[in-house]
Amino acid sequence: MAEPYIRTVDLCRFYRRGHYTVKALDNVSITVHRGEFLGIVGSSGSGKTTLLNLLAGLDTPTSGVVDLGGVPLTKMSRRQLSSYRAQKVGMIFQSFNLIGHYSALQNVETALYFSSTTPADRRRLAAAALEQLGLADRITHRPSDLSGGEQQRVAVARAIVKKPEILFADEPTGNLDQENSDQIASLLTSLNQGGLTIIMVTHNLEMAEREAHRAIKMHYGHVVQAGTSARGEERP
Amino acid sequence: MTMRDLIVISTGNLWRMKLRTLLTTAGVLIAIAAFVSMLSFGAGNQEYIEGEFNKLGLFSTIQVYPKNNPNRDAAPDTSNAPKLDRSAVERIAAIPGVNLVYPFDAFAVSVKMGDSLFASRAQALPSAAIKTKLFSRLLAGAVFDSNSSHQAIVSDEFLKHAGITSPDSALGRTFILSARVSTVDSGIGRIMSDRDRPLMQVMRRVRFDSLGNKEYLSRVLRLEASEAFKRFLDGYLNAQRVIYDTLVIGGVREGGRGMRTRTEQIIVPMATASRFSAGGPSGNPADIVGAMRSGTLFSGSDGGTGKTFPQVTIDFDPKVFYKSIRDSVEAMGFRTFSFAAEFEQIQKMFLYFDLALGVIGLIALITASLGIVNTMVMSITERRKEIGVLKSLGADERDIRWLFLVESGVIGMIGTVMGIFSGWVITRIVSAIAQGYMRREGIPEMELFSLPPWLILIALGVGIGVSVLAGFYPAARAARVDPVEALRNE
Repeated sequence: MAEPYIRTVDLCRFYRRGHYTVKALDNVSITVHRGEFLGIVGSSGSGKTTLLNLLAGLDTPTSGVVDLGGVPLTKMSRRQLSSYRAQKVGMIFQSFNLIGHYSALQNVETALYFSSTTPADRRRLAAAALEQLGLADRITHRPSDLSGGEQQRVAVARAIVKKPEILFADEPTGNLDQENSDQIASLLTSLNQGGLTIIMVTHNLEMAEREAHRAIKMHYGHVVQAGTSARGEERP
Repeated sequence: MTMRDLIVISTGNLWRMKLRTLLTTAGVLIAIAAFVSMLSFGAGNQEYIEGEFNKLGLFSTIQVYPKNNPNRDAAPDTSNAPKLDRSAVERIAAIPGVNLVYPFDAFAVSVKMGDSLFASRAQALPSAAIKTKLFSRLLAGAVFDSNSSHQAIVSDEFLKHAGITSPDSALGRTFILSARVSTVDSGIGRIMSDRDRPLMQVMRRVRFDSLGNKEYLSRVLRLEASEAFKRFLDGYLNAQRVIYDTLVIGGVREGGRGMRTRTEQIIVPMATASRFSAGGPSGNPADIVGAMRSGTLFSGSDGGTGKTFPQVTIDFDPKVFYKSIRDSVEAMGFRTFSFAAEFEQIQKMFLYFDLALGVIGLIALITASLGIVNTMVMSITERRKEIGVLKSLGADERDIRWLFLVESGVIGMIGTVMGIFSGWVITRIVSAIAQGYMRREGIPEMELFSLPPWLILIALGVGIGVSVLAGFYPAARAARVDPVEALRNE
């Protein structure tokens, strides 16, 4: 079995809302192995996106530890976290989060602004990533000219163009029809088969069980169920 | 993120919001145009004055006066203050760096030119002095190159008296210069005058048998000496000799350039003028009073060796700092006036003037910078998602801050460059109107504005600097955008 890559210990994220404290995440301890495809399922407000943001270094926990290959993420400075996101992390979102006034190519290139890639290499790598996802004829199109599935594929191209170690997907099929959802799901599976560690948040339990090695279920900030899924046998 | 990336992204964003960018940039443009045109006015005036000073060689000129002379027209000799005489001139000339020293030596004259007869004043100048910048700018003709030449340089005021309209037509024309000069000879002659037979009268008046009486002798001597002195003065001051010479007009210069560079209507070579100026005072009452006050009423007749001057001009090497020469002259006990020192004061005044104009321009620029702040803050509100995406992709706070600073800097740069150009166009238009007015009114034309490189650099620095400063607050706000919040909103 591969070594643990990401590990959280008693991870908490509380928010103050007036006189109340909202416990978005309460003592969550999970382990993700390198090359693993982990599905996080749960209803709205269960804390799955909060967990994803903490793992991606976008948010800071109230308490607890996020350990990344032996390096505590929680001890990193904001600049180190930015560098972590720039070099090791790819992210895709439910609403794609493409920059509306950029072309597909420019959107993908944006992910390489924060590395030492030259402008010419940026363009070449971005074009190659789009081509890999079957969008070679869409590189000059703006998001508004693309279908939902195409937009999400551009977002995947943007996430993988810098060859990250881990991909965080937050409801990647939430805004897509069944056909596009299936396409994106199989795309993620093939990326995972290529060795990419993926943590996917979804409320689609069926998809999580089908595509992920393992799925954990969250409820009101707690992990309530953990187990293998259909691909569990392939688990690294 | 490289600066190139930042500029590409920033200009792209600004281009996307064309109208807003145009309006914000217009604010900077107008403010910089006002800033440049106002400071250009100050710079133009300063340059004009400096140019005029330079043309006249005033920066390498020092005027010297006797110490106790509050009025430059008279030199009281009532104290032990050193005299500004020939020997002082020689001592001043020996100061290192001094090229030339010449006194202001003027006298009242009568001029007869054709049918015109008028009173004027002439000034003696060595040929070396007439070649200095102070005198050599002529409207027509050339300066004399010999001290004994019978040529004169006259002013345009002289031509008006003579009824000559064109400076060129005056060249080569002759005039008779005459002066009534008091001499000691005329005084002595008056004592010995045949008409009154004063000696015979004395002989008749004196009782020779009483001369043995000491008291009588003393009274006789006192009375007779007093009588003789009265006659001498009468002869000296009234029986003046008329001296005249015929001179050719060799050049015409512009008169009326007053300040402390005293010049008379007629400038005559030193040696040629010596017969006019070496005598006692002329019939002009002001000359007589001046000579009495300076103690030179009689000394002028001895060849001018004891004569003192109300003013002496030093022409020095422009490479030499004026203060060293000024200090040497003042150490001799004289007062000085230097245009270089005066210009330092003028420069200070211009500095205050420029500062006042600059502050007005700066107020306009600060108002425009509020437009930048507003534009940037609106931009942040609209681009929260973009900021969130960039942060999720690895942008740190510094990258986001720079992105917005560069955007405000680009607005500032475009506005400033166009503002400088617009300011220049405005100054050209105003200058053309002003010069047209000056021509119509017969006022000597002058360039009111100047846009020296330092002003362009200051405008660039101030324009871009203030714009970038205006971007600091929005940039800091953008950098603080929480990516989780920004992405959640979507």
